[in-house]
Order: sequence, then structure tokens, then C-alpha cells
Amino acid sequence: MKFARYLLIAIAVVACLPLKGYAADVKVIANSSVSSSSVSADDLKDVYLENKDSLGGAHVEPVLLKGGAAHEAFLKTYLGKSDSLLQTYYRSLLFSGKGSMPKALGSDAEVVAYVAKTKGAIGYVSAGASTEGVKTLEVH
Amino acid sequence: MRQGLAVLIVVLACALPAMNAQEIKLFDRTIQVHGFASQGFVHTDQNNWLTMNTSNVGSGQFTEFGANASTQITDSFRFGAQIYDRELGQLGRWHPQLDWAVADYHFRRWLSFRGGKVKTTMGLYNDTQDMDFLHTFALLPQGVYSTDMRDATLAHYGGDIYGTVKTKKAGDFSYTAYGGDRRDSLYGGYPYNLQMHGLYIQKYGGPVVGGDLRWDTPVKGLLAGTSYMYEMITAHELLNPSVALGGPNILTPSLEWSKDDFVNQYYASYSKGNLRVDSEYRRYYRDQDIFSGAFEIQTDIRPWYVSGSYRINKRLELGSYYSHFIINGNINVPGQSFSPSVSDPDRHLYDKVVTARIDLKRFWYAKIEGHFMDGYGGYYYPDGFYPMVNPQGVTPNTNALVIKSGFYF
Repeated sequence: MKFARYLLIAIAVVACLPLKGYAADVKVIANSSVSSSSVSADDLKDVYLENKDSLGGAHVEPVLLKGGAAHEAFLKTYLGKSDSLLQTYYRSLLFSGKGSMPKALGSDAEVVAYVAKTKGAIGYVSAGASTEGVKTLEVH
Repeated sequence: MRQGLAVLIVVLACALPAMNAQEIKLFDRTIQVHGFASQGFVHTDQNNWLTMNTSNVGSGQFTEFGANASTQITDSFRFGAQIYDRELGQLGRWHPQLDWAVADYHFRRWLSFRGGKVKTTMGLYNDTQDMDFLHTFALLPQGVYSTDMRDATLAHYGGDIYGTVKTKKAGDFSYTAYGGDRRDSLYGGYPYNLQMHGLYIQKYGGPVVGGDLRWDTPVKGLLAGTSYMYEMITAHELLNPSVALGGPNILTPSLEWSKDDFVNQYYASYSKGNLRVDSEYRRYYRDQDIFSGAFEIQTDIRPWYVSGSYRINKRLELGSYYSHFIINGNINVPGQSFSPSVSDPDRHLYDKVVTARIDLKRFWYAKIEGHFMDGYGGYYYPDGFYPMVNPQGVTPNTNALVIKSGFYF
């Protein structure tokens, strides 16, 4: 029991450590087939956590960045998970037969290109990235 | 062990160039293909553990691998399957299994269906306990997620209904309700354990129903939940009465069956940044008639654990847990009884664990883990210590070193 007590104290100390702050400098984009022009933060989280697969009655497919500042900002702002926890979450679904692994792409340009050509795709890119061929969704 | 290591290396060498090639096109359909493999080594300072000969140099009979394929048939309908195989000392023994095969129809966020061989939703890690690469620890807290007894709860042949209900201020509630049939492998810990009593299981399983309710609370990062399972299990066996009953040295058919058999589980998890803290409590109660109804045994297992893990950086994660396992019970076989006190080493197993997980590359990891165990839990319920690999008896304390490496794609 002493060991359990010390473990709990150590966990409590680490939990109080300050975390790095993030600015939400990321924008959410979608294929033109997605009729909505806005999405709630809750719905966006549900889509990315595979609890929801439609917006405004249309099927949607989430797309991720593999890494980078926009990726970290999106995870922090909308999903509340670190990248390692999110990847573990997806793999838990995939390898237990309860979900699939969303597509992950290496750059803003790749995400924009994929979202532009894929019906139902939604993704996120840096706030300053070119979004030619896709629509930007307002997140409320 | 050498064979397992060689297989792992060859598979790794072939798979590494293809690590990113996880989608294939077949007849205009995209199929996702994924897999994993791991190789472990266990050394104990005394007592042989998990059916391996670990107390001398150690044992590498700790290998597992699997692969799955899945595809989206329509926007709402997905199908996939996974095969799995392992060797864990005397368990598994390279008998491949269908791990799951599921058809999943997503109707609404609050109502969906899946059927086939389905991984059972229970607690935090029941449905992923055999996926080593998902976890910080080389061995999950063995009181709740005993690797030798995982057939008891891992999957069912049947169907689930499931969904998530969102509330405005009280968080989200996710539910799963299931019904089906449990069919255990003949190479798990329970069939192996029964051999000490002269019983050789030919078929083991039965109907199972249950559910899970988890609450993603309004407190960011905090999840809590509860699970319940009820089952009626029957074992068809061959009995050699000379082993445990003083009878003739013959094989005769025998049965055992559940009279009351259920699992309650409560759990919570908190994650903030790179920190994760989990805790679970499980009660597994079983009242069964054995030796074709001649005798009866009740076992009441009540394990719990607290664990914490922290990711230091992209490569290194540290973790620790305390696992607390207690067995209560009654048996009316002449000459057999449970020890009178929980403080007796055959009535408990307390395990303190420290772990380091190193992510060597994006899909390749290694773990090094120390276990400091007090007690061994006795022989009425498989909990890692078996008399067949400990013919001199089991001493009260065991310290173990577990090293594991694996990859996934």
C-alpha cells in the first residue's frame, strides 16, 4: 500500500505541471460535397474520434496531418489528445475491429489536394495555407 | 526462442519497406491491411512464471503476431477480420485463431450494430489486451488482465448494439450491449491448469450476455465506466481419476458447468497532456459444479490496480502500476480447501511494476519491465503460477524482468 501511496503522490505532482499553450492557428477544410459551411467543435471531435460519420446528412471522412504545428494545434484545440494518445486510440479501434485508421498526409498541400478530390473528406491545415479547390468550415 | 526471434527478424525485414503501404486496391475497393508481432524474454529470480521456465536463464517462449484486413463496403457498412497466434510457454503453442471477424453497420451516432466474432467491450483494455504495441506495459496488470486467462472475457460470437449519446452539460455516454457465445481456446490457462487435476478439456464455452457504459465526463480527460457480463459455461472434459481423486488410471468423460458466473467491473481513466492515470476494479465470481456434478467450487476473484504512465518525449515513455489480486472461495472436494487467510501467499498476488517503453522507430518499440510480486494466488484459479512448471512448490515472492520488442504497421 505504501507503494501505491507514493505512486499516487508522484502522479499528482506531474499532473500539476504546466502545459505549453497553443494558439488555434489552424483552419478546417472540406470537400465541396459537404453541404455544411460550419461545424460545431463537438461534431468535429466526434468525426475525428469516429463517433460520427456524417455532417448535415452527408457522409464525411476525416483526414489528418502526420505532424507539425497545425497538427498539434488541431489536436490540442479540438480533440484534447496528444498525437501519441490519438494514434493509440485509432489503433485500439482498428486492431479490435471497431474502427479504421484515417488517412494521414505529410503536408498542408497534400491534405488540400486529397480533400479537394475526395467526396466527403474533411481535414485541417495551417491558417495561412492555400485552400484552393476546397471550402473552409467555420468551427463554432 | 531462437525460432521465434528468427521469424520476427525475417518478418520485420520484409515488412519494414512496406510499413507505409497499408492500403491495397482490389477490384476498385480499398482494403486496409495491418499487422503486428512481438518477441519477449522473461527471467525470474525464483518460481517459474506464466508456464515458462523463467527461473534459470529465462525464457523466450513469449511470441505473438497477427494481421488484419478491413474494407468499407458502403458509407455505413464495414467488414474486417484479424488472425492471431502466440506462444506463451505451454499456452497458445502456435495454434492460430480467428481473433475477430466483424460486420459493422453504423446507423446513427446513438445506435449501431456489429456481429460476428466480436472483441468484448469490458473495462479499459479488455478488447485490446492482446495488442502489446498499444500499451505502455509489457504485461497489463495481471490481476485484472491476466494473459493466461484472457480467453475468459476476450471475445464472443454474436452481436453488439452500441452508440454514443451526447448531453449538453453532462458529457457523453457510450454504451455497448451484447449477447452471444463464448468458445475458449483449448490452449489457454484454464485448460492447462485443470491438467493438474487430471482433467483434459475437449470443449469449453457457452452463452454470454453483458454490457458496458462509459461516461466521457465534462472534466476534460476524465473517463469513467462500468461493465457487466453474465455467462453459463460448460466444459466437456476427459477425466483421469487417478491424478486427483485416487481412482483408476483411465480416461472417462466428465462435465463441469457454471451455476452462477458473472463479472462486474468499474474503471476510470484520466489523461492530461502526456500523463495518463488508470484504475480498475473487477469482481469475477464463479459457482460451478465439477467432476460431473460430484463436487462444487466457488471462486470469488477481486482484483484492482492503479497505473500511471508519462511520455517523456517522442521516444521514451515511463510507467508504473500496483496490481492487487485476492481470491476467496469454497470447495467441497475431500482434501482440498482454500487457505484461511488473505495474508497467506496462495490467497493473494500483489505486483509492483515499473516500465520503460522506448519507441525506436515510428513502428518499432521495445519495453523493459520489472515485476516485484508478493504471493502467488494459489492453484484454484490460473494466475500465472502453475504446479506443473513448479514441481518443488512455489515460494511466496517472485521478482521478474520482462524485456519485449515488437513492431506494427
